Amino acid sequence: MSPVSDLARIQGEFQEYLLRGTRAIEARVAGSASFALETRLGIYAGAYGSRLIDALESSYPALAALLGEQDFQALGAEYVRAHDSPYFSIRNYGDALEEFLRTDAGYADVPLLAELARFEWTLGAVFDAADAEPLTAAALARVAPADWAELRFTFHPSVRRVALAWNAPQLWKALTEGGERPQLELAAAPVEWLAWRQDLRTWFRSLAAAEAAALDAARAGRGFGELCELLAATHGAHQAPAEAAALLAVWLGAGLIVAAAPA
Amino acid sequence: MHQVLTRPSLGFGLGLRVDHYEAILAGRPPVDWFEVLTENYLVPGGKPLNYLMRIRERFRIAMHGVSLSIGSTAPLDREYLRQVKALAARVQPEWVSDHLCWTGVAGRNTHDLLPLPYTREAVDHVVARVRTVQDLLERRILLENVSSYVSFRDAPLTEWQFLAEIAERADCLILLDVNNIYVSAVNHGFDPLEYLNAIPPARVQQIHLAGHEDHGDYLVDTHDHPVRSAVWELYAAAVRRLGPVSTMIERDDHIPPLAELCAELEEARSVARRALAGGEAIRPSAHAAPAAGLR
Repeated sequence: MSPVSDLARIQGEFQEYLLRGTRAIEARVAGSASFALETRLGIYAGAYGSRLIDALESSYPALAALLGEQDFQALGAEYVRAHDSPYFSIRNYGDALEEFLRTDAGYADVPLLAELARFEWTLGAVFDAADAEPLTAAALARVAPADWAELRFTFHPSVRRVALAWNAPQLWKALTEGGERPQLELAAAPVEWLAWRQDLRTWFRSLAAAEAAALDAARAGRGFGELCELLAATHGAHQAPAEAAALLAVWLGAGLIVAAAPA
Repeated sequence: MHQVLTRPSLGFGLGLRVDHYEAILAGRPPVDWFEVLTENYLVPGGKPLNYLMRIRERFRIAMHGVSLSIGSTAPLDREYLRQVKALAARVQPEWVSDHLCWTGVAGRNTHDLLPLPYTREAVDHVVARVRTVQDLLERRILLENVSSYVSFRDAPLTEWQFLAEIAERADCLILLDVNNIYVSAVNHGFDPLEYLNAIPPARVQQIHLAGHEDHGDYLVDTHDHPVRSAVWELYAAAVRRLGPVSTMIERDDHIPPLAELCAELEEARSVARRALAGGEAIRPSAHAAPAAGLR
């Protein structure tokens, strides 16, 4: 008995053919005059690449629309050569596309591409994040006044934050929903974006710096009192509590918060 | 002792596709049940799971996976199986199926249904793994025959011997894909009726129908066309041999409106009805019918 079984050897060689184009498997399969061995194996090789590129296209529809069929196919083929799938679900394939676009010499000089990929992957994570029932304003109103300073918030599992230097979200909207394509714009400072799911729909909007800082602090487990202190820097100590309450109302209305409890 | 292994027929079903979610919930489509692609719902939450749970309130559901990789020499993916079991606990499907194939080794997934060599070694390997999976999932699974384009040298068994022996020895059930039998019969030059007649009827719980692409000298299983006439003929032969079996049509690409697939499903009902009215339940001999009419 050889230590590696015939079955294991066949599977190893078959997979190496699909992933790397090595040809040892050819000695193990049979062909016929009308249906040659190379054609037979080639069906599997072709299907492997096109299936993974299709998966990329469904995760990155705006990037595919921006690049066009030919360039997206070329990108997909390069990515497939560089990245095998370790996932049981093909939906997860393509998680490293942003990094690939950011670091590959052929794409790195157009940094918008990596940002668009990052934004689209973020939307995908929002789409199938875990479900949770949003907290209602009525439930929040029942919090005792004495508990407010220490009140901490749990956010919906779909909430995501990204900072983007380019106007990738505006471009995404034009590419996927139609409408005029905006000029590419590089912001003076990265723009803070929030993405989340409400009523099964995916939403995103930009955040002013103060809201972004408060939201990040709240998501990191800071209490309402601490949010007020944070906002005092921009709104003054007197206005900060009202500003914190206003932000909370907005977050509540968007379904971002699922629980609030004193520490 | 005679033990009934399979469920009575659920009738005629379709694959549940995102494009049809709204139409299914809005109307009362003449579909008896839906088959869902398991992996599409192995997600934490969101829209697909929400629709699935609403649709399952009205329709019976079967779960059909593509990642079990039952024939792989890599270890079984226990995390995958845990998630499949959790989804099944939530959806309460009529049954859980996957394919008699392998999808990857060495930590890679090719996301394709790759063919196995029809050898004793592979039979033993698959039988042991099916038993493990069935113990873990606490249910019998269905294994589907896949379309294939290569056959391996030094593999002495036929595909139908391979499938039948695994089903019997592992005590699992069969999802018979009639289109795949036909595609493989053309690609490998065997008689599809010989295949059909070697399948143990007691273990066939479901039938798949689908379209393929004709390349002249060979066929490719694409699931992007209507069911072809030769496959309807083979389906009629299957129904004559097996009696009423839960049947569904798979369409994975160029997905038409729901009404169009319902019309094709009506054709399946009609083919099955005619086959049951006109034919004997079990074809007596493995070599009774010529293959020529089907090619």
